[in-house]
Amino acid sequence: MSLPNINCTINGVALSVKPGTTIIQAMSENAQRIAHYCWHPGLSIAGVCRLCMVEVAGNPRVQIACNTVVTEGMNINNTSEKVKDAVKWGLDFHLINHPLDCPICDQAGECGLQDQYMEYGKYNPEMAEKKQKKHKVVDLGPTVVLDSERCILCSRCTRFTDEVTKTHELGIFNRGDHAEIGTHDGKKLDNKYSLNTVDICPVGALTSKDFRFKQRVWYLKDSNTICNGCSTGCSVKVYFNKEGLFRVRPQHNAEVNGYWMCDEGRDTYKFVNKEHRLLKGRKFANASWHTETHAGVAAKEASGLLKTAQADEIALVLTGQNTVEEYEALLTTFVNTFKTKNVYHWWPQEAQAAEFDGLLIRGDKNPNTKGLKQALEKFNINTKWSDLEQNLKSGKIKQLVVLGPENINVYKDIEQKISLFSGAAHLIYLSSVKIPALENCSTLKTTTLVPVKSYIEKAGTFVNYNGLAQKFKKVTTVVSEALTGTEIAQIFAGENLKIETGNHTANEVLTAVSNTRKDQVTMDRLKKNEFVFSRGRL
Amino acid sequence: MSVVTKENKNVWYLPGILTGLGITLKHLIKNLTNKKQMITLNYPEEKYEYSSRFKGNHILTVKKDGAIRCTACMLCATNCPAQCITIKASEHPDAHVEKYPINYEIDMLRCVFCGFCEEACPVDAIRLGPEWQTPGLNGANFTYDINYLAYRSQLKGGVQSVVDDEDRNKAGI
Repeated sequence: MSLPNINCTINGVALSVKPGTTIIQAMSENAQRIAHYCWHPGLSIAGVCRLCMVEVAGNPRVQIACNTVVTEGMNINNTSEKVKDAVKWGLDFHLINHPLDCPICDQAGECGLQDQYMEYGKYNPEMAEKKQKKHKVVDLGPTVVLDSERCILCSRCTRFTDEVTKTHELGIFNRGDHAEIGTHDGKKLDNKYSLNTVDICPVGALTSKDFRFKQRVWYLKDSNTICNGCSTGCSVKVYFNKEGLFRVRPQHNAEVNGYWMCDEGRDTYKFVNKEHRLLKGRKFANASWHTETHAGVAAKEASGLLKTAQADEIALVLTGQNTVEEYEALLTTFVNTFKTKNVYHWWPQEAQAAEFDGLLIRGDKNPNTKGLKQALEKFNINTKWSDLEQNLKSGKIKQLVVLGPENINVYKDIEQKISLFSGAAHLIYLSSVKIPALENCSTLKTTTLVPVKSYIEKAGTFVNYNGLAQKFKKVTTVVSEALTGTEIAQIFAGENLKIETGNHTANEVLTAVSNTRKDQVTMDRLKKNEFVFSRGRL
Repeated sequence: MSVVTKENKNVWYLPGILTGLGITLKHLIKNLTNKKQMITLNYPEEKYEYSSRFKGNHILTVKKDGAIRCTACMLCATNCPAQCITIKASEHPDAHVEKYPINYEIDMLRCVFCGFCEEACPVDAIRLGPEWQTPGLNGANFTYDINYLAYRSQLKGGVQSVVDDEDRNKAGI
């Protein structure tokens, strides 16, 4: 039985909310601004920051919105002078012992204190006391650094370790203005979700060791994508600029990851950066690596060899680290053009696939195993890995195409697999990252290395463990020369690469752009190589 | 554009030329007899003294102990309209310093000497000094690094910053 909705008015807007909703929930769900530090939608209510003050009609005093449940006919506002005054003084009390070292604080630019101060700040503070000195740069654990002076004791991080990870490492010690966050004697903040405490810290008290001092946040752009660390497929935000990618943070997704993500997933930006990437196509023949070639040229050469081979001499190896679109394009090329169904699934975590830590981390470290299985099913492909091993040893398979994994850290068997692949007369290895195991392999015959795009650089779909297909967009380009799996499939099939133009043809897009300005040279004139300047004579 | 028409064509030019030569002669005699009031300088030997607020080449100031004052907050680099400042920050072993630059480069050929870096700096770590004669031959290095900016020989061991951490700590800030 569901209870009827409750009607209330917030800042003059009539709302209807579910019974049991707190005022702050009602406000944040309906895009109303309210200052707050300690309240977090994924954690319990603490009510310690005293910043989310609201005025309820008929109540003489302001009260906190996070711990007040909406009742029928409530008339709430947080824009009156009374509320603003309460928030202003609350903020001033928070700042008594805050060191205001924003210039060297990593949180500056995305700091709750800075944001609220711009709106509610008491620009002329009346606190004459000396600031309390506390511990700085405390090593809390392998991932997090604490600065007690900056802490405003909102207790979000302690509640996170108590309620979400249930590891209870953090606590608040001492009383009054001596109170500070810390770990119990000798214990370290060391769990698989520890960096979430950095995300939820509204100030710069907890900072990530990995990101510390790398970049100021205002130099970074962000974009949403899907984490490719495991089969959970958390929604994440990656932060990047022209120098590369710098960090990954969780993005709220009620269906998949809630508000959190694991520490392992935060490392998934590293192999995308240029220093780890394969930048050029390379060829290994006559026992030595030849000079680098353009990725497209390398792929074209390989496709020439593939076309001359017999259907049963060709095989394709796929991993669960690419998008559904790439699988389908490659499978179409192999089934329709090369007339072969020798497609094998390289999956080292098959035995641990069902492992789950109860929160987010899953044993299958591929984001799209399910998507690959669905694609293979669609093309009626049912092969066994042992067949590939047998056929490679007997020399039946001569042309082997491998779309290698991006995150080679979770492919522990890569060395032995590559020595297995090297049994093929011609190995075409498509990889986004440098593979030392391949370059040092002693049993290699002819090999072509083609750089491919990582998950950050292409749009596509990942299907997670649960069968949920999640689309993501391209974030940025790191290696411009690299090809996507779809492009490689097109080159293998001998087609021209297509430009994505939505519903329009490429020509339509070009003419639509070029005919918008009077003084611009039109497309038809450009084709005739005529340059007419209609603005006047030079 | 205005058009000038000559009204009287039968004019004598000689008096005008002689008046002009007279003025030149007057200034020559004045400069020869009273050299101190001469406006021009014999440049390489004599140099003009600009005011102390002149914005010339940058200086990175130092603390009392001689270490570089800069905290690598990157506000100067953010404020720089020419984007000529490159800073690389790192963690300092001393917890009270916390952050410091391991690399601070200014591309002098890009710099427009606007002084915005000086204005943005919260700790008086960068100043625009009085130097302005810094020519170089082809291929000379105009990207000044951290050591040159702070400890070049003209600065005689570094210019001390007015903002000091210890004083601020004592004042309870």
